[in-house]
Amino acid sequence: MTMMKLERHCLVALMALAALLPLVVRDQYVLHIGIMVLFYAVLASSLNLVVGYVGEFSLGHTAFLGTGAYAAAILSTQYGWPMWATVPVAGLLAALVGVVIGAITLRLQGPFFVIVTLSFAEVLRLVADNWIALTNGPMGIAGVPQPALLSEAGNLGAKQFYYGVAWVLLAVTLYLSFRFVHSNAGRAAVAVRENRYVAQSIGIRPLSYSMLALVLGALLSGMAGGFYAHYISFVGPEMFRFAFMVSMIIMVLIGGKGTLVGPLIGALLVTFLEEYLREAKELRLSIFGLAVIAIVLFLPRGLMGFVVQWRAARAAPAPQAAAPKAQGSAA
Amino acid sequence: MSATHASTAARALEVRGLGKSFGGIHAVRDISFDVRPGEIVGLIGPNGAGKTTCFNLITGFYSPSAGRVRFGGTDVTGRKPYHMARMGIVRSFQKTNILKSLTVLENVLTGHYMAARQPLWRTFFPGRAVRATEAAARESAERIVRTMGLAHRMDTPASVLSCGELRLLEVALALAAKPEILMLDEPAAGLNSQEARQFGEILRTVRGTLVSSILIVEHNMGLVMGVSDRVVVMHFGQKLAEGTPAQVQADSRVVEAYLGGGGKKK
Repeated sequence: MTMMKLERHCLVALMALAALLPLVVRDQYVLHIGIMVLFYAVLASSLNLVVGYVGEFSLGHTAFLGTGAYAAAILSTQYGWPMWATVPVAGLLAALVGVVIGAITLRLQGPFFVIVTLSFAEVLRLVADNWIALTNGPMGIAGVPQPALLSEAGNLGAKQFYYGVAWVLLAVTLYLSFRFVHSNAGRAAVAVRENRYVAQSIGIRPLSYSMLALVLGALLSGMAGGFYAHYISFVGPEMFRFAFMVSMIIMVLIGGKGTLVGPLIGALLVTFLEEYLREAKELRLSIFGLAVIAIVLFLPRGLMGFVVQWRAARAAPAPQAAAPKAQGSAA
Repeated sequence: MSATHASTAARALEVRGLGKSFGGIHAVRDISFDVRPGEIVGLIGPNGAGKTTCFNLITGFYSPSAGRVRFGGTDVTGRKPYHMARMGIVRSFQKTNILKSLTVLENVLTGHYMAARQPLWRTFFPGRAVRATEAAARESAERIVRTMGLAHRMDTPASVLSCGELRLLEVALALAAKPEILMLDEPAAGLNSQEARQFGEILRTVRGTLVSSILIVEHNMGLVMGVSDRVVVMHFGQKLAEGTPAQVQADSRVVEAYLGGGGKKK
């Protein structure tokens, strides 16, 4: 209960801070970094739902991101849909892809799940590369239209607008994740993750809740993809590439999987590091690699896991004092 | 709590001619017995007699090659495990099976899954009704933890519990699902004799309050004979004997099954 409250306070505080940024800062570059942090925070949170609540490592999360991005790009360039419609529909289409992929992959576990999800993303990349009539092939779709109201606003105004949209997207993501995690459905997903047999013995149909976590993750990353398409105004097959996946994984691992605050911290740290290390060029990925190795070795549950452990260690003396009595009565 | 079992007419579990063969091996063959409302039935037999297979057949983890399982007159043979749980038959497992990374209370709260189920959209937009359900589930979970004598471990991670406490938590988790029939597979394994006795007392307390009837597989004879109203003995996959604890203990075939034919093998 206290953990739940602490988490909620943390999330509200972080979001309030994020809402203040555009009021204080008028620098376009900083706002761009802010937008990317928010975008990655949505992505990392959505991946975290899969990694943390299905309990399997998906390497195919870019499938949902890419589907969302292409959906938004195609709907807006070919059918003239406005952004407020393309982004939610991009999410729904990605969720649909999630249902299909989930129906196949959720029956698999461990390395099998990893490989099959990865190949789904790869298949979608090939489709994007080759279905030229729909996706314009390797050239990608350029000139994804901006919302009409931005034609009047300047560059700064556009950045502020996108910052606001990304903030709302993240708020929606956190709200849905928080509700899911702290619900009966979230507990059921954790039960399935921890022990399939126990879950069934208390009446849980395992596939339902892994599917719910996966589809929710797909929905959110699809919306993130739709947002990205409009913001960058270009979508290409690179959306399905492994690079996005690597960033997401690092964020979730650094922050701590299975917590809601973790992916936000991860997104913040990694996006800043990526910008900061831009000068290091090729060395950048190596440095990230080392960071991930260090995290896995020393903080296997991420920064948030470390915080939780530290809190538990401070709270520990009470139950330990009670333990000898219990053993005494049992012996 | 007892009202839930009094209001719904308690149902009997009937097992008729149940059989399972793996390849050519008959793990279980032609097993029939009843668990009537309000009863504690012991299922015993030497290692490899097919007791756990029997459990898996009844609860749908295996599908039987022969025979029927009826619950309250309805044929439930071969239903999925989660289906059986929803009908009111909840089991525990031989190897310790709990949700390790969660605390004791969280484990038992998770066990309230069926009571706290809600439409999907309610997950994201919980109203007052959902909050009330959640509060009731939490309260019930705390009560079950206390009944099992784990109150001082309420917020302890399950991964640090002692063997005896784990056994109690397993039963608590199963009871949280509000079963009509509780099926326990070697719940006292690893307990010393005094812990086993306490465990037996807890079983007698929960029968009639938290659960209607209990089917228990156990090797601790003191416990089984102490709590059971009737005992079913299995040997090499078949039913060897059935009766009250006294009848079974006096049965020469049962003694032979446990100690070996005429003492020659000893």
